[in-house]
Amino acid sequence: MAVRTHVALLALALALLLAGCSGGDGDEQSYGGAEGLPGPLPAGVEFAEPPASGVPAPEFAAELVDGTEVEAADLWADRPAVLLFTASWCETCRDVHRAVAEAVAEREGAVSLLAVVPEDDADAAAGYAEELELAYPVAVGTDRIWLDYAAREPPLAVLVAPGGMVLRGWPGGVGREALAEELDSLIVAGPGSRR
Amino acid sequence: MRALAAAAALAAFLGAAGCGGGEGGTDVRLRVVAPDNNIRVEGVECAGARPFEDVHAGTPFALEDGAGEVLAEGELPPGHAVNADPSIDWGVERIPTVCVFELQLEGVRERDGYALRLAGGPPLEFDAALLSPAEPLELVVP
Repeated sequence: MAVRTHVALLALALALLLAGCSGGDGDEQSYGGAEGLPGPLPAGVEFAEPPASGVPAPEFAAELVDGTEVEAADLWADRPAVLLFTASWCETCRDVHRAVAEAVAEREGAVSLLAVVPEDDADAAAGYAEELELAYPVAVGTDRIWLDYAAREPPLAVLVAPGGMVLRGWPGGVGREALAEELDSLIVAGPGSRR
Repeated sequence: MRALAAAAALAAFLGAAGCGGGEGGTDVRLRVVAPDNNIRVEGVECAGARPFEDVHAGTPFALEDGAGEVLAEGELPPGHAVNADPSIDWGVERIPTVCVFELQLEGVRERDGYALRLAGGPPLEFDAALLSPAEPLELVVP
């Protein structure tokens, strides 16, 4: 009897272990990769006219933590984009990143978000994305990209208008409400619009 | 119970030996300054801004003696922003600052001189005579 009980318990433990390892249905959650790239612009979303003049956002290509290549210009082609220069070792950046992600998520696909970490932080970037359970992509940025955006120190948030004009930057980061206000001034119809 | 107490005593002894090098040692208090003159709110957490981007929380450091023997090592804590020129009343919240990292190393083996090495970079050398229990010694990253 005791042996049968032990065998049953062993089988149960094995089943639980296997279920745990496989993620149950085979869909493992990953963070910071291509899954976080924006889909098609939601129907009915309209934006304010972008500024006629200003500083064009430097275009760049970078690799996400899952190896996917991303073109920054794709992110701001049809909607505003927030670039967040961050790093895994930066404690302040975590709070800023969560706040920015929250403000972007509330706009339900009308805004894209890309985090950029320095090259020497590439190994830790995936762990950082996982720790924050980020639903948005994290790219490894070369020195050139950091220099192009005058990103001297993380966190730095940059808001790019649809089409690619830099609207403003926040050295030291930005809070959820301040970013939401800026985003809502851009969205004239759709989530977050001031109708 | 006696075994537990003996184990605790042994652990305490080994821990102290690990920190102090077994010779009593001296306390080394350092303020490592990244003179980046970056615009920040005074007191906020910071990392070295370019061109000091390699100096940040988690950057490995080693304290060596003149012969290159490592006496203590670890990782930098987060820095904090300090007014770059307190003689100026900037009149605004965001001001030019430097990023300062505080290090307190206890029980370091006594030597005439030491060198702090950040991330394997060039040594920041200083005489033991400059160390004071009252005030941390300021080392400026070149």
